[in-house]
Amino acid sequence: MTGRPLLQWVGFVLLVGFVLVALVAPLLAPHDPREPLTLPLSTPTDDHLLGTNDLGQDVLSQLIHGARSTLIVAASVTAISTVVSWLVGLAAGFIRRVEGVLMGVTDLFLALPDLPLILLVLTLIGATRTNMILVLALLSWPAFARVVRSLVIVARGSPYVEASKAMGGSTSHIIVRHLLPATLVVLPTKLVLTTRYAVFAEATLAFLGLSAGDAIGWGAMVNLAFRDPLLFSRPIWPWLVLPPTIAIATLILATVWVGSGLTNGPRPSRRRKPH
Amino acid sequence: MRLLSRYLVLALCVVLVNFFLPRMLPGDPLDFSSGDGLGAAVPLTASARAQLEAYYHLDESTQNQLRSYLSGLLRGDLGLSISRSAPVSDLIVDRLPWTLSLLLVSLVLSAAIGAGIGLAAGWRPGTRRDRWLTSSSGMLSAIPEFLLAIGLLLGGAVGLGWFPLFGGETVFAESRDGLTGILRGGLDIAWHLTLPAATLAIGGVSAFALVTRDATAGLQHQPWLVAARAKGLNERQVAIRHALPNLAFPLTTFFGLRLGGVLGGALVVERVFSIPGLGLLGFQAIGARDYPILQALFLLSSLAVLLVAFLVELVYMRLDPTRRSRQ
Repeated sequence: MTGRPLLQWVGFVLLVGFVLVALVAPLLAPHDPREPLTLPLSTPTDDHLLGTNDLGQDVLSQLIHGARSTLIVAASVTAISTVVSWLVGLAAGFIRRVEGVLMGVTDLFLALPDLPLILLVLTLIGATRTNMILVLALLSWPAFARVVRSLVIVARGSPYVEASKAMGGSTSHIIVRHLLPATLVVLPTKLVLTTRYAVFAEATLAFLGLSAGDAIGWGAMVNLAFRDPLLFSRPIWPWLVLPPTIAIATLILATVWVGSGLTNGPRPSRRRKPH
Repeated sequence: MRLLSRYLVLALCVVLVNFFLPRMLPGDPLDFSSGDGLGAAVPLTASARAQLEAYYHLDESTQNQLRSYLSGLLRGDLGLSISRSAPVSDLIVDRLPWTLSLLLVSLVLSAAIGAGIGLAAGWRPGTRRDRWLTSSSGMLSAIPEFLLAIGLLLGGAVGLGWFPLFGGETVFAESRDGLTGILRGGLDIAWHLTLPAATLAIGGVSAFALVTRDATAGLQHQPWLVAARAKGLNERQVAIRHALPNLAFPLTTFFGLRLGGVLGGALVVERVFSIPGLGLLGFQAIGARDYPILQALFLLSSLAVLLVAFLVELVYMRLDPTRRSRQ
C-alpha cells in the first residue's frame, strides 16, 4: 500500500494545476491564441516559447487556452451524466413501474458502439461545444445507472427502508433520505471515470476533425498538425505534435492516478463520507 | 429461442435508430450539403438535391420512407455516398478487408498478451507484482488510441525508421505477379500494418489482463489446483495445464465484448497511419459531411457488435452445463 497514496496525491495536484491554468488562461497566455501573429511554422523564439503553428498562432497560448475548453467539456459532461445516472438508477431501482422500460433503454445504450454513433450524430447536428457535451453526456450514463440501481435494490430490502415505509414515508422521502445516501459510495468513482471518459472522447473527436471551427483545443491542435501530409519532413514537427499530446496524456494519467485509490483501494466511505 | 428474440429486438432497435436519427435531429442533412445550409462543405446543385430527395423518398410519408429503407437494407442497399457518388455498400466492401484484418490481429494479440499478464498478476493476488502489473496495464489502456498511435508512429517510424510513415501498402510497388510477388506483397502489407495493429493490441491488453487476473485470483484455493501441486507439478505446469483452460471461459466472453471498443479504436488508428480501411473512410466522411457513409458505419458496427455478442452467448451456453440445463 506504499506506492498508491503518493500517486493519488500526484494526480490530485496535477488536476488542480490544470483547473488553475484553465481558470486564469487569459492572464497566463502570452498572446491571443487565435491571432495570427508572425511567420507561420516558426520554431521557438523568446516571444513564442513553443513556436507557432501553420497559421502563425502562438502554440503556448493555444495550449493554455486548450486546458480551458477541455475542462469545460469534461466538467459539463460529468455533471449531466452523473445526474442522469442517478435519476435513472434510483427510479429503476425503487419504482417498479418504470424498471423494465428504463433498464431496456440502458441495455440498448450499453450495446451500441460509442464512437460510430457519436460521429454520426455530431456530423448531423454540427459539432459545436454544446452539442458535443450533450452527446457525450447522453452516452455515458448507462453503466452507472446499473450500478446505482443494484445498490438501490440492496438498500430497498434493508430494515431501515422497511421501517420508514411502515411509518408512512412517501416514495420521494424514502428515495432522498434513505436510498440516495446508500448510493453515494460510488459517486467519487463515477466522477473520476466520467471525467476521464470526457477528456478522452473530446480529444479523440477533435482529433478526428469534430470540433467547432474556431475552437481552441488540444485534440484540434493535433488534428491541425496531422492535416499536413509532409508534417514529419518538417523539422518543426515536434513543436506542433508534442505539446498537445503530452498535455492530453498528462491530464488523463492524472485522472487515472486520482482514481487508482478509489477502484482497488479501501472503500471510499472509509476515508471520508461524501457530504 | 428467448436469446435469439432478444437480440433480434435489439437489432431492430438499431435499424430504427439509424432510420429515425437523421429525421428526428434538428436540421436537414441535405442542408449541410447544399449552399444555404450551415457550413456547407459540398455545394449541391438543385438538381442533385432533387435527385437525392427522390432517392431517399423524402417527399413521401415517413411510413413509405421506412418501407423503402427496410427493403433497401434487405437488398444490401446502404444509400449513396454524397461526396463520392458511389453506392456506400461498394465503398465499404472495398475497405472492409483492411479493417477486419487489423481488428482480428489486434484482438488475438491483446487476448494472448492480456491473458499472460493477467495470469502472472492474479496467481498471487495482492503481491507487489500483482499491483504493479495491474496498475501499469491500466494506465496504458487509459491513454486514447490516437495518442498511443502517435507515440508508436514517432518511435517506430519517425525515430527508428523501421516502419513506414503511412499507408497500407507501398504505392508504385513492383508488380505483384507470381508466387514471390504475392508473398512480397503480403509482407509489405504486414510491415505497414505492424504499428497500427500494435497500437490497437496495446489498447486492449489491460481489459483482458483485468478479466484474467480476477478469474485467476478466484481460482486460488480450488481443490484441483491443490491436487495438481500435491502431485508434484511445479507452479508453471500448474498454471499452464490446469489454470489456463479454466480461463478460456471468461476470455471467450470478453473477446466478444471488446469488439465495440476495438472498432472505435480502429477508426482513429487508421486515421493516424492512413490505412485505407473503414476508419479512414469514416474520417473522410466527417470532413465531407457524407452522412450516408457514417450512417452505414454506425449500422454495420452496431449489428456486428450485436451479432458477436449473440454468438458468444451461444458458445457460452454450449460450454456451461449449468446454463444449458436451465434453458
